[in-house]
Amino acid sequence: MISEQLKKSLQQRVETAITPREAAVDVMKELQRHYGWLTDEAVGEAGELLGLSPLQVEELATFYEKIYRRPVTGKLIQVCDSISCWSGCCDGIIEHLKKRLDVELGGSSADGKFTLVPCCCLGRCGDAPVMVIGETFYGNLTPEKVDQILEKER
Amino acid sequence: MEQVLFRHNRPDRSVTFEEYCAEGGFDALKKALTAMTPDEVQQTVIDSGLRGRGGAGFPTGKKWSFVPRNLPGPRWLICNGDEMEPGTYKDRVLLEKNPFSLIEGVTLASYALGVRHAFIFLRRDYETAAANLQAGIDAAKKAGLLGERILGTEFSCDIDLHLSAGRYICGEETALINALEGKRPNPRQKPPFPAVKGLWGGPTVVNNVETLANVPAIIANGAAWFKGLARNPEGAGTKLFCVSGSVVNPVCIELPIGTPLREIIDQACGGLKPGKKFKACIPGGASTQFLSEAHLDVPMDFDPVVKVGSRLGSGAIIVFDEGHCLVEATLNLIKFFARESCGWCTPCREGLQFVKEILERIERGGGEERDLDLLRDHTRFLSYAFCAFAPGAMSPLDGLLANFEDEVREHITRKRCPLKG
Amino acid sequence: MPKLIIDDIEVEVPAGTSVLEAARSVGITIPHFCYHPALAIAAACRLCAVKMLDGPVKGIQMSCALPAQDGMVVSTTDPDALKMRKLVIEWLMINHPHDCPVCDEGGECLLQDFTIAGGHGIRRYQGKKRTHVNQYLGEGIYHEMNRCIQCYRCVRFYQEYAGGTDFGVTGCAGRVYFGRFDDGPLESPFSGNLVDICPTGVFTDKTGRFRARYWDYQYAPSICPHCSAGCNLSPQAYHREVIKIVARRNDEVNGWFICDRARFDKSDLNDPLRPRQALVDGSPVEWEAALNALATRLREFVQSHGADSLALVGSTRLSLEAGILLAELAARYKGVRLCYFIDPAEAQLSLSKVEWVPAGMAASQAELREADFIAILPCDLMEESPMIALAIRQAFVKGAKVYLVAPHLTALNLERLPFQVQVVPELADVPLGEAKRGIVVAGAGFADLKGLEAVPTGVKFVLLQPGPNSFGAALLAREYRAVPLREAIASGKVKGILALETDLPEELRQGLTFFAAADWRNNGAAEPASVFLPTSAWAETGGTWINYEGRAQRYRQAYKTGLPLRGLPARYYGSQEAEPPAHPPRVHRAVAPGGDTRSAWMLVAELIFKLTGEPAAEPYAGKWAPLKHIDPEGPGMRLPAELLAG
Repeated sequence: MISEQLKKSLQQRVETAITPREAAVDVMKELQRHYGWLTDEAVGEAGELLGLSPLQVEELATFYEKIYRRPVTGKLIQVCDSISCWSGCCDGIIEHLKKRLDVELGGSSADGKFTLVPCCCLGRCGDAPVMVIGETFYGNLTPEKVDQILEKER
Repeated sequence: MEQVLFRHNRPDRSVTFEEYCAEGGFDALKKALTAMTPDEVQQTVIDSGLRGRGGAGFPTGKKWSFVPRNLPGPRWLICNGDEMEPGTYKDRVLLEKNPFSLIEGVTLASYALGVRHAFIFLRRDYETAAANLQAGIDAAKKAGLLGERILGTEFSCDIDLHLSAGRYICGEETALINALEGKRPNPRQKPPFPAVKGLWGGPTVVNNVETLANVPAIIANGAAWFKGLARNPEGAGTKLFCVSGSVVNPVCIELPIGTPLREIIDQACGGLKPGKKFKACIPGGASTQFLSEAHLDVPMDFDPVVKVGSRLGSGAIIVFDEGHCLVEATLNLIKFFARESCGWCTPCREGLQFVKEILERIERGGGEERDLDLLRDHTRFLSYAFCAFAPGAMSPLDGLLANFEDEVREHITRKRCPLKG
Repeated sequence: MPKLIIDDIEVEVPAGTSVLEAARSVGITIPHFCYHPALAIAAACRLCAVKMLDGPVKGIQMSCALPAQDGMVVSTTDPDALKMRKLVIEWLMINHPHDCPVCDEGGECLLQDFTIAGGHGIRRYQGKKRTHVNQYLGEGIYHEMNRCIQCYRCVRFYQEYAGGTDFGVTGCAGRVYFGRFDDGPLESPFSGNLVDICPTGVFTDKTGRFRARYWDYQYAPSICPHCSAGCNLSPQAYHREVIKIVARRNDEVNGWFICDRARFDKSDLNDPLRPRQALVDGSPVEWEAALNALATRLREFVQSHGADSLALVGSTRLSLEAGILLAELAARYKGVRLCYFIDPAEAQLSLSKVEWVPAGMAASQAELREADFIAILPCDLMEESPMIALAIRQAFVKGAKVYLVAPHLTALNLERLPFQVQVVPELADVPLGEAKRGIVVAGAGFADLKGLEAVPTGVKFVLLQPGPNSFGAALLAREYRAVPLREAIASGKVKGILALETDLPEELRQGLTFFAAADWRNNGAAEPASVFLPTSAWAETGGTWINYEGRAQRYRQAYKTGLPLRGLPARYYGSQEAEPPAHPPRVHRAVAPGGDTRSAWMLVAELIFKLTGEPAAEPYAGKWAPLKHIDPEGPGMRLPAELLAG
C-alpha cells in the first residue's frame, strides 16, 4: 500500500503529463523507491494510476534494466561489468564481492543488508572499476577498498 | 587552447547561474531572440559545420532543415542525454559542471525550429546531472529565460527533464521517442523519419547533449569562428574526449576536433600506465572498431577516423595494453550488446547470442578455423538488422578481425588464450 | 502505379504496395514470418530479404517494408539474399526446439516449411537453447513459449488489432516473452486467432491438440452458424469428429479472423448425444424405411385432416436450398401451412429489416472497417456478434468516431467493447450528417425501424439478424407467403407438424395428432416424433446461408458424417465385449456407423419424389437462379436488387 500523499503526488505527475503513458517510467521509479523493488502490488498500483492493465505495466517494467521485478533486499550494489571497467579488472572485483557477501549475482546477502547485481556502463569510466551502492558511487576499486566500503555501508 | 563547452567550468563544482551569466551566458539567446530570425539561427548552425556529437556525426543544421516548415500541430525537440555507450561519460561531466550551455542551446534550437516544448532525456544513473539541470532550468525560468514570452518576446519555450530507467537502446532516436511516449522503447521503422513524424506523430528533432551545448557559442561568435577552432581543415569546433582504460590519467577533456589520437593519449592522459605498452584502442565508444598502434596519428574528427576503418563515435577512447586479450575485450563488448538488444529483430537478438557463443569458445580454447568465416558472416549480415544497434555491435568484432586477426588465430591454433597461463 | 522487375518479371502494382506483396501478385512467395497482411509492418524477422539490383535503393533490403517504386530491379534468388535468409533461419533455430514430432503445429508450421525450404540442417551454434516457463492461458489455447521466434504477430494482433490488454510482450533482448501478467484465461473473445496467426507452435488449439495432423484432416470452406455475420471458416475433421475450426479469409466479410465462439464451440457438432438413428415410433429403422413411413403418414394425415391442418416448418438455420424445396413440397398440398419462423414478431422484424435497407445500403464488415462515423444502437455486440465489434475497432483505430446510442446502459457493456465510444441518448445526437462513410449498427433485437428514418441518405446499415440464415428465411417467407408457426397454430387448425432443422418449443407440440422431425442437433425433437430422420449438420453438407447484409455464401461439405471413431461403441467392432479391441472396425459396411443421414434439402427432395412420383425441381431456378453459381471460396454474392425487392 502506498500513502495517500505519494498517491496524490503520482496522480499529479500523471495529470501534468502530455499522455498518462508519458509518466509511466516516473511512476514506476517512485513506486520502486517506496517498495525497494517493483512488487506485484506496485505494478497494480502503477496500472491504476496510469490507466493501464498490469500486463501493460509489466511490458514496460521488464524492459528497463533498473526497474526491479524481483526482490531487492537492503542496499542495492550495482557493479559495472562493461568494457572500461573490464579493462580495469572488474571481473576480480565482482568475484571479490560475491565471495565477501557470499551471494551469486542477483542474490541478497544472508544478513539482508545487500543485494548484488551486475550493471552496464555507469558513465564513470575514468574511475574504472566502479560500483554504486544505493545512490553512492565508488570508483577505482580494489579488493581492499571494496572491503572498507562494505564495512562503511553495512 | 580555446574552450567552448568547458569555458565556464570550475575545478570542484558546478558553475552558478550568476557566474554563467556574468561570463556572457545567455547573450547568444538574447542576440538570437532580438536580432535574428529562426531561419538565421538555423543557417548559422548549418554554416558552422557542427556535426552531431552523439556518434553518427550527422550535420546538425541539416537535420533541423528536414523539419517541414508549415506542418500544423506541435513539433518537438528532444535532447538525447541517454549516454549509455560503454566508455562514454562526456555528457555527464559537461552537465555536472555546467547545465546552462545546454539549457541555452536547447532554447536556441527550439527557437530555430519553432518548438514550444522541449525534452531533455537523461539516463537513469545521472542523478547529479539531473539535479543540476533541474536547478538550472528553474533558475533560467525565474530569470525569464525560459517559459512564457522569453525576454519579453513572442517566443515561449519550456524544457521538461525526463529520467530514463536504463536501457542502451533508448539512445537510438526512434526508441527514445517511444520511451518518452511511455511505450516499449523498440526503435521505429524509418521512414517516416522523426523530422517528419516523431514524438506523438509530430515533427521531432533529436540532438545530443554536447551538440546542443555548442549552439550558444556558435550563435554568439559566428560560424566562421566555430570552424576555426578545429585542428584539421575540414573539421569544425572542439570535441569532448573522455578517456578510460590503461592510461595514467583518464580524463574528460575538451580539445580542438582533429587533435591526433596519439596526442590525446600521450599528452592529455599522460600516456600508458607505468610498465604498460599500448596495444589497441577503441576511438569512439563501444560501437566503434579497434584501432592499432599504426593508427595513432589519425586526427580525431569524423571523416579521418572513418578513413582508418573506425568511427569517431562519441569520442570515448578506451585504451588497451599488451596485457589485455582483445578476444576477451570483444567478448565483453558483445555480451553488453547481447544483453542490451531490445529483442525486436532476429539478427540482433539471436545473431549476437551466436557471436557471443563463438567468442566464448575461442577464448576457452575451443575455437575452430571455420569460426573466423562464421564471425565474418555475422559482421556482414548483422548490418541488415532493424536499426543501427547490431551493426554498431559488430564494429569491435570487425576491428578485431581487421587489425588483430593473428591474435584470434593464436587462440584457435594454441587452443587457449595466449594471455592466460 | 509503380512498375518494377522482380526476378525478370515485369510487375505493375498500386502505389504503396510493398515489394513482398508485389512479388506475391506474380506468384513469387518471399519467405516471411512477421509480415501479415492484416497487421502493421514490423520488419522484425528479417527473413524477407531480397537483393535490389538496380533502382532507387540498392543491396539487401527487407521486402515487406520496402514500397515498390519505379525502376526497381529485384532479385529474390540472389546469393546474398539467400544467405541472409539462411542465416535468419539458423539464428531462429538456435533456440527453437527440435520438437516437431510432438508439436501440434507440425505439418502446418511456417517455420518448419521455411527451415526445410531454406536448406538449414546443420547446427553450428554449440551453446544451449533458451528456455521459458509456459503459462496457463485458459481452456482454448495451449502456450509453449520455447518455440517462440519473436515475430511479434501475436502481440500485434492481440493488442493492436483486437484491442486486448491482458496479453503482450515483456522483457527485452533474448528474454522477450509473450504472455500474460500471470496465469489465467485470455480475456479477449478473439484470442483463438493466436493459433492461426502464430507462424509456429507457441499457441495451439487446446481443444484439438494431438488428435491429427494437417494432412489427416477433411476440411472445406464453410460458414459460421453462430450469428448472422456470416464469417468464413473451415471445420477440420478427422475420423468424423471436428477437431479444430480455423478462420478462412474473406476480405469482404471477416477478413482473416473469427471470434472464439466460432472457433471453439464445436459442442453441437461433436455432441455424443446427437440423434443419428432414424426412428419410427421410437424404434430404430433404416433411413429409407423411416422416409417411407413419413411419406405414408403424411399422406394419411392430409387425407384425414386436410392439408390446412399440416404445418411444414423450416428455420433460420436451415439452408436456403432446403427452404426452397420445402416451399415446393408445400405447393403440392394446397392450403398447407408453410413456416420459416416460429415467432410472428421475429418473422416480421426480419423481413422489415430486409426490406427497410435500400439496395446497396447494407454495410459489410469490410465497409465497417473503413467507416468514419459509426452509431451503435443499444445492443450487446460482444455477446451477439463479436466480429462486428472487431470490424468497428479497425475503423476506430483509423480515427472513426464511434457513438453508442443508449439511454440506459450498464458500464459492463462498455468495458467489453474493444474501442472507445461516445455515449449519446438519441440517434439524433450522432452527427451522421458529417459522415462520408457513416454506418448505423443495430443488434438483432432492435425493432424501432421508424427511428432510423431520420438517418441521412448515404449512411449505410448493419442490421443484425438472429440466425445465420434469418435473412434467407425472411425472403422465403415473403416469396412463398409463409406464416409464422405460432400464428398458424393460433388459427386452431394445425394438427400435424413436420419440423425440419427447427428448435420447436415444447408447448407447440401439445395437442398435435402428428409430429415428425428431421434434425442433426440434439434438441429433444427425436423422442416425441412419430417419425424422426437424422440430417447432416452444416459442416457435413453443402448449402447456402444469407448473412445480415444480404450476402449469400455457399458452404461445402467438410467431412462425411457419422459417429466419431474415437469412443465408438463396441458393437461397431463386431464384438459384444464392453471394451472395443484396439484395432479398426472389421465389419464391412457401406456407410460409417451413425452416418446414415441426408442433407435436409435432399430429404425434402426425396420426400417430394415419394409423395408425387416426380423428381423435385432444381431449387436454383426462376427467381433463385442467380444464386446457382456462388464460389464457396469467393467473397459470396450480394443479392441482386430483384431478389431483394418484394
